[in-house]
Amino acid sequence: MIRYGRIARTFLVAEVKNELAYRLNFVLGIVEMLLVIGTSIGAVLVLFTQTSSLNGWSLPQMIALTGVYYLVQGGVNVVFAPSFEKLMEHVRLGTLDFTLLKPANTQFLVSTRHFRIVRVVDFLIGTSVVVVGLVMLGSAVTAWSVFTFVITLAAGIACVYALLLTLVTLAFWFVRVDNILAIFWAFTDAGRFPIDLYPGWLRFTLATIVPIGIAVTVPAEAISGRMSLETFIGMLAGTAFSVGFASWFWRKGLKSYTGASA
Amino acid sequence: MSLVLTYRALFLASFQSFAQYRIQSLLWMLFAIVRPVIFLAAWVAVAAAQGGSVGGYTIGDFAAYYVCLTFVNQLVLAWNSQEFEWEVNQGRLSAKLLRPLHPLHYAVVDNIVFKASTLPVLVAILIAISISFNARYETQLWHVLVFVPSILLAAGLQFTFNWIIASLAFWATRMNTANTLWQRASFVFAGQIAPIALMPGWLQAIAYALPFWYMQGAPTEILRGGVTPERALFIIAGQAAWLVVCFAGFQVIWRRGVRAYSAVGA
Repeated sequence: MIRYGRIARTFLVAEVKNELAYRLNFVLGIVEMLLVIGTSIGAVLVLFTQTSSLNGWSLPQMIALTGVYYLVQGGVNVVFAPSFEKLMEHVRLGTLDFTLLKPANTQFLVSTRHFRIVRVVDFLIGTSVVVVGLVMLGSAVTAWSVFTFVITLAAGIACVYALLLTLVTLAFWFVRVDNILAIFWAFTDAGRFPIDLYPGWLRFTLATIVPIGIAVTVPAEAISGRMSLETFIGMLAGTAFSVGFASWFWRKGLKSYTGASA
Repeated sequence: MSLVLTYRALFLASFQSFAQYRIQSLLWMLFAIVRPVIFLAAWVAVAAAQGGSVGGYTIGDFAAYYVCLTFVNQLVLAWNSQEFEWEVNQGRLSAKLLRPLHPLHYAVVDNIVFKASTLPVLVAILIAISISFNARYETQLWHVLVFVPSILLAAGLQFTFNWIIASLAFWATRMNTANTLWQRASFVFAGQIAPIALMPGWLQAIAYALPFWYMQGAPTEILRGGVTPERALFIIAGQAAWLVVCFAGFQVIWRRGVRAYSAVGA
């Protein structure tokens, strides 16, 4: 465990050094995030000029949900998304050989190798937005709601991670899976509203094929004190199952990897 | 005559290259559909909470608006600002500049081929959405007739504006921020988060003053119907004015840019 922490830290330091070579890029990245999040909140505010509740969600709750949306996106985009992008390339080119030879868990190595440091900003801004929502909400934030929020947020990110890992694993058989991932990215946008807003067919797509809807909605429910105990337990069980499945699938896929010269 | 032959050759080449990536084209279309459907769902919830209608828009009106918006968005789509950065950075533009044809022509052809080849699938999906949300159109024949010049102006405007942004790549090597700015401005002002009539007054004023609404929201309103002839005229005039301004701006920027251009590293 400590060893893996050290490996992750080495990767992180390498990426920070790399990133610091392009400082202007970093600043521009932050500007972009502020633009994106600012306009998203603007969209919510416009909706609420016409109503005081969106399917039972009040404005403060919706703002908190928008914050959670960017927290989940940040969680995925800081490390998993860039790492998996490189992984697909390695599978295609056969250069995954080098990773396989290293004396550590391969799933860990391929999932954490690359960081997009600038996306840490998503976390900071996302957290501030959640806090703003909570302050507006004004209701007492209990230790229980914070606890369940943190747990369900981590679980949500883990769910999305499991889905991405499963999709990327398909590369061992189909080689070009960028297209499948594109479907995922197209649907992530739907996470900006609570999933109970969508009509049945769309909700089904979101909640099962693309768990981003759940990953965003459940933590937002938790922090605004509207989550039931059943949802909490269901979320944990679902996460454990999907991460377990993804890991099993990954090992199965790895067996069909043939390497560079095969 | 020679231009006709040139364009025929360009179309053929572009069509063949697109035929290779059919699935990819359809996936790009998915991006165009998901966001309007999301906001449609949100507005349907708002209308339902307010007893069936908001600011004169019923659930069926929202459905018609967002279906039309998706259709318009696809027709006016322009993506050159993303592509062009790469061409400049890699120096691939050099080869194109040597040819006797303005690079704009290649982009025009690719643009039309992509839209034409994805349109049948898009229309099928939009019909399905219309039915599932019970869309209510107020379109009359003259709306359709006015829509034709309006969508052409909108497409021309978006295309030209996008090329202005693309031309910035002559000076800046990384264009991501400019692209994000353009996308978010479209998101807010073009009518994606709400029909312009439902936006707060000050936001409406800004949207009417900027070009983005004339690229997407304006033709959408005409196609959905329910606009008066005066408003249609106002829309067309606004679109034409912005097209003239943008085209003139593009000419100036492009000429200066080509002079400033040297493939990165050259």
